Amino acid sequence: MHRTLFFCLLRFSALALLLGNSGFSRAETPQFFLDEYQQAAKSQNPGFKGFSVAAGERFYRNKHGGDWSCASCHTDNPAAIGKHVVTGKLIQPMSPSANPERFSDAAKVNKWFKRNCNDVLKRECTPEEKGNLLTYLITVK
Amino acid sequence: MAINTANTSVGLNAQSDAVHGRILVWDIPTRIFHWSLVLCFVIAYLTSESERWQVWHVTAGYTFGMLLLFRLFWGVVGTRYARFSDFVQGPKQTMRYLSSLLTRHPHHYVGHNPAGAWAIIGMIGLGLLAVLTGWASFSDYGDWFGELHEGIVNVLILVIAIHIGGVLVSSVLHRENLVRSMVHGCKQGNLLDAIRYPQWIVGVLLLVGLGLFLWALLSSRLPALLP
Repeated sequence: MHRTLFFCLLRFSALALLLGNSGFSRAETPQFFLDEYQQAAKSQNPGFKGFSVAAGERFYRNKHGGDWSCASCHTDNPAAIGKHVVTGKLIQPMSPSANPERFSDAAKVNKWFKRNCNDVLKRECTPEEKGNLLTYLITVK
Repeated sequence: MAINTANTSVGLNAQSDAVHGRILVWDIPTRIFHWSLVLCFVIAYLTSESERWQVWHVTAGYTFGMLLLFRLFWGVVGTRYARFSDFVQGPKQTMRYLSSLLTRHPHHYVGHNPAGAWAIIGMIGLGLLAVLTGWASFSDYGDWFGELHEGIVNVLILVIAIHIGGVLVSSVLHRENLVRSMVHGCKQGNLLDAIRYPQWIVGVLLLVGLGLFLWALLSSRLPALLP
């Protein structure tokens, strides 16, 4: 009986490890994310007209009532190398034009949007906000 | 040899009161290690989801790792019940202990029981892996280190839950408050089973070592860990 319990726990552990490690990377493109956000934005808001570069740039620089904006770490120029305001670690450019690795892995994009939106806005970002931001980032070379 | 530490409650009850009393089981370094480890884990866990607390997270994580390294060392040269050789036993002994819990006379160990020992080994191993993958992720050696780090910590949390569950079950079955024992270091038992020295000096050295490590880390003297 104990042996069964042990193997059950072992299997559960392996499963947890796999679930925690489910970030298998397919090569996504920025367009893939734009399509996804557009679909989600439309279903949330029937009056949705499309993403805007200007709104994305405003979003990027806005502190949203807190002390940080995206630019706090990623600098005023998303095509430049950023610097973490707390640890001082360098951050590779956010603009996919300057850094082709950006927006190429859904697991990574989802993880960091969730994490960074919580830090800057104290909530998750809406699909419209993400789409505006990405539309802006793509234009910065 | 390890069998000697296992006194069945029947055996103990037969002893006269003269040799039975409050005995020191956990030395000072073991207790400092245990509660510092808990503190580091809680801090690292609570600060894991925000960039704002990143320095706290990695500081708690590295300190957690240092504590585990100390525990490996203390598990070899420490006092009787802190040594791995006192409590790590094979699957057969472990199963025997676990099945005795279902009887009216559960086997009693002065130090760690063999089931708890496996949780300890699991937590030390997973803890070290968590620190290594956390460091690799923080040092930008690849995104998958971050994923692995989270996966390992999920399993570690499971083992911690088993550890806490085991401590509670064991406390009830053996009618001794194991949590309190890990604070003051004492249990009720045969006076001959007590450890002789609380090892205050090693405890102070451990705290001084941790202090020095934190100072070096936070003053950027260990750029490979925290730039």
